[in-house]
Amino acid sequence: MNETAIPSSSSDALFRKTLAFCGYTGYAAIVLFIIGGVWLGGMLPALPHANDLPSEIVAKVSENLFEIRIGSIFMIASFALFGTFGAGMAMQTRRCETQPGFSYVQLVFSSMGTTIALLVAFAWALMVFRPETYHPSILLMWADFAYFLALFSVPLFGGWCVMVALPIFLAEEGKEPFPRWAAYVNLWAVLLFAPGQMVMFFKDGPFSWHGVVAMWIPFVAFFVWIAVMSFLMIRIAQTEDS
Amino acid sequence: MVELSNADSKVEMKTQIPGEAGIWAFVAGDLLVFSVFFILIALGHAEQTDIFEASRGTLDLRFGIANTLLLLTGSLFVAIGVERCRSMPSGKNKQWFFLGIGCGVGFVVNKIFEWNAKIEAGYSPVTNDFYMYFFIFTGIHLIHVLVGLGVLLFLLRMSQRSSLSAREIQTLESGAIFWHLVDLLWIMLFALLYLL
Repeated sequence: MNETAIPSSSSDALFRKTLAFCGYTGYAAIVLFIIGGVWLGGMLPALPHANDLPSEIVAKVSENLFEIRIGSIFMIASFALFGTFGAGMAMQTRRCETQPGFSYVQLVFSSMGTTIALLVAFAWALMVFRPETYHPSILLMWADFAYFLALFSVPLFGGWCVMVALPIFLAEEGKEPFPRWAAYVNLWAVLLFAPGQMVMFFKDGPFSWHGVVAMWIPFVAFFVWIAVMSFLMIRIAQTEDS
Repeated sequence: MVELSNADSKVEMKTQIPGEAGIWAFVAGDLLVFSVFFILIALGHAEQTDIFEASRGTLDLRFGIANTLLLLTGSLFVAIGVERCRSMPSGKNKQWFFLGIGCGVGFVVNKIFEWNAKIEAGYSPVTNDFYMYFFIFTGIHLIHVLVGLGVLLFLLRMSQRSSLSAREIQTLESGAIFWHLVDLLWIMLFALLYLL
């Protein structure tokens, strides 16, 4: 029995390292997306536009085939890290619960969010897989699919933020998993994701999937949210270490 | 003695800022995003002045004024409610939040009538850029109002307590700050969409 027992101090050290690791994967996800989605992949800003003709999409994609393919690889690596990032927040929430509650709900949202995000990268990669063979409208559909997965899924990513905020608000004073201001950051992110659902109704202008309100604001808010929560996980781990 | 008075003044300075720090970060963030909306309206006006002027002329100013008065009055009631809760907590204070909620509900009902009148007259978000901004931005603001009503219901329940801890007072203040933010955003939207 004694051989399998883990001393609490070493298990805490392992927990802190895991929490910091999860926080750093959040940062890594941001960097990988900047390389894959912003620099190479043409996802942000959107290389194709929602009001492009299928032939225009084919032309844009064909001109940047190699960059988008490499970008897709970076993007799928970025999105896979949402899993470890989300697990870190759930771990920290679980520490402050007597019985598991919001931590489990967060894990469900985290898993679904990671899956949907991975599908974004899949759609982006398939768009450039064989554009010379696909009918041009299929390429348009892959682009639509990628942005709808990313932007129309407000209840999923917004719900994830709410599930992070609620245990902070509902915790007893001094027992919050994250600082209370972080709960407000999460709610702020939810409000900023909301315009993403406008993509259903517009193919041009600020509310279309290439527009400032429906795409830029939710995307930027999402990655700011990841940066803030990653920072907090790392800070908690470092503070407890010291 | 000097140290003590410094500490006292620090405490006094701290208590002068209502609500939690987080709510102010939220307010700043939301204002930042709405600033983008305001810029879009202003750019649209500059680029399509004729369409914007003509479309603005079709708006019924009475709906806008009524909604502005409802939100301002609601904010006044909520501010009185918070002040009463701070100075003399009792079950009677809930009436102020109840009145605030009434004003918010009035805003929602008035907005539904306004939208309904516009849609019946043939205007929709696809009519032109002005009406696109009108419906979408007032719609996003309406979501804020609905969230704010949920917050006020929470404050109403909290205000019925005969004693409130410092943290509960802070929560009351934070909720009221959100309601005032809803008010402020509407005033900006009202000016940009109905007046300027």
